[in-house]
Amino acid sequence: MRKLFQLVILIFLCSMANEATSQVRPLVIYDGAVTELRTPSPFTQSKDLWVTLAELTSATGFVVKPQGVCRGELCFPLPKQRKGDFLVQRGKGTWFNLSEFARLVNQPVAHDEKLAAWCFGPRQEAQNDYLATLEAPNFTLPDKSGKPHSLSDFRGKKVLLITWASW
Amino acid sequence: MPGWQTFYHELKDKNFEIVSVAQDTRGVKDAGAWIEKANPEYTVLIDEQHLVTKLYSMVNVPTAVWINEQGKIVRPNEVAFIDDRFKSLTHMDAGPYLDGIRDWVAKGERSSFVLSEEGLRKRLTPVSPDRLMADVEFSLAEYLYHAGHGPEAIPHFKEAQRLAPDNWNYKRQAWLLSDADRDYGTNFSKEVQKLNGKPYYAPRQMPEPANKPD
Repeated sequence: MRKLFQLVILIFLCSMANEATSQVRPLVIYDGAVTELRTPSPFTQSKDLWVTLAELTSATGFVVKPQGVCRGELCFPLPKQRKGDFLVQRGKGTWFNLSEFARLVNQPVAHDEKLAAWCFGPRQEAQNDYLATLEAPNFTLPDKSGKPHSLSDFRGKKVLLITWASW
Repeated sequence: MPGWQTFYHELKDKNFEIVSVAQDTRGVKDAGAWIEKANPEYTVLIDEQHLVTKLYSMVNVPTAVWINEQGKIVRPNEVAFIDDRFKSLTHMDAGPYLDGIRDWVAKGERSSFVLSEEGLRKRLTPVSPDRLMADVEFSLAEYLYHAGHGPEAIPHFKEAQRLAPDNWNYKRQAWLLSDADRDYGTNFSKEVQKLNGKPYYAPRQMPEPANKPD
């Protein structure tokens, strides 16, 4: 009975410890994909979101290169005078300030401090891109059975795009 | 929706498609029954993240956009009801808009309802930083709601509503997900009353029909 009691206490303490670590693991929502960061940030006093270079890539697809911060063809050079605002060496690793980068590229960020959740939206330029061509912004969404359909599937036909809601 | 099915049936053999997108955070759970009831032949999609609202800067439903064979917008956001059931809110007849679609389907780019590039540019304006911030607050709120943090989602829904005060989708969706009176101090009918005669939907600017009825 006593052993059982000890076990229960142990499980309780473990779950507390788990909870404590999970609270400092930020969640990053980027292009709709959710990533829980695994490496706790050493910048505990910072209001910004610092990520390792590996987690920058796994959460956002961006890679730090000599010419800038890049994803595919897209590359954003970091201002020379301000490199230290974005990249900081700590111990064996290099840390990247993802919220400062968002400010640099005009990307909106919503943050829930208590739940350590960060949501990154489209860059202002990307959102307004279609105004140059007047092309209808493409999207891919599921039907009720889960099958994905893209607006571009209907190219060659006239399309009435119409939204509605249950509410 | 049954009305739209009849309309679709009338035009579907003329190289015309309807893509109907439900703006519902809870997806099939809320929108599914409506789709099953109408069971339309046209494409109905579920947009849990209100992506179409964001991409096209929509502020209420139903809102329709005309897109031509090349994938270009030829007539942007307008209220699009299939009948006059909600005329007290729209202050507009549904008929002229539907006739406009018929005209476009028949005449294509020659239709007087197709806007010129200049006309389109007047209506399609760049999104403001506040609007983009509203979108991302709304996205975070939806994520928190789905992750079981309903109460924590509310301040972010409120922030989205504050930053995009004209967006009824962001209001009505958030109100549906909780007790609107308790959590937001308001509800849809109260807000409609506050309009005090001002239109809920932006008035349409349609050209006069070519053949005016007597």
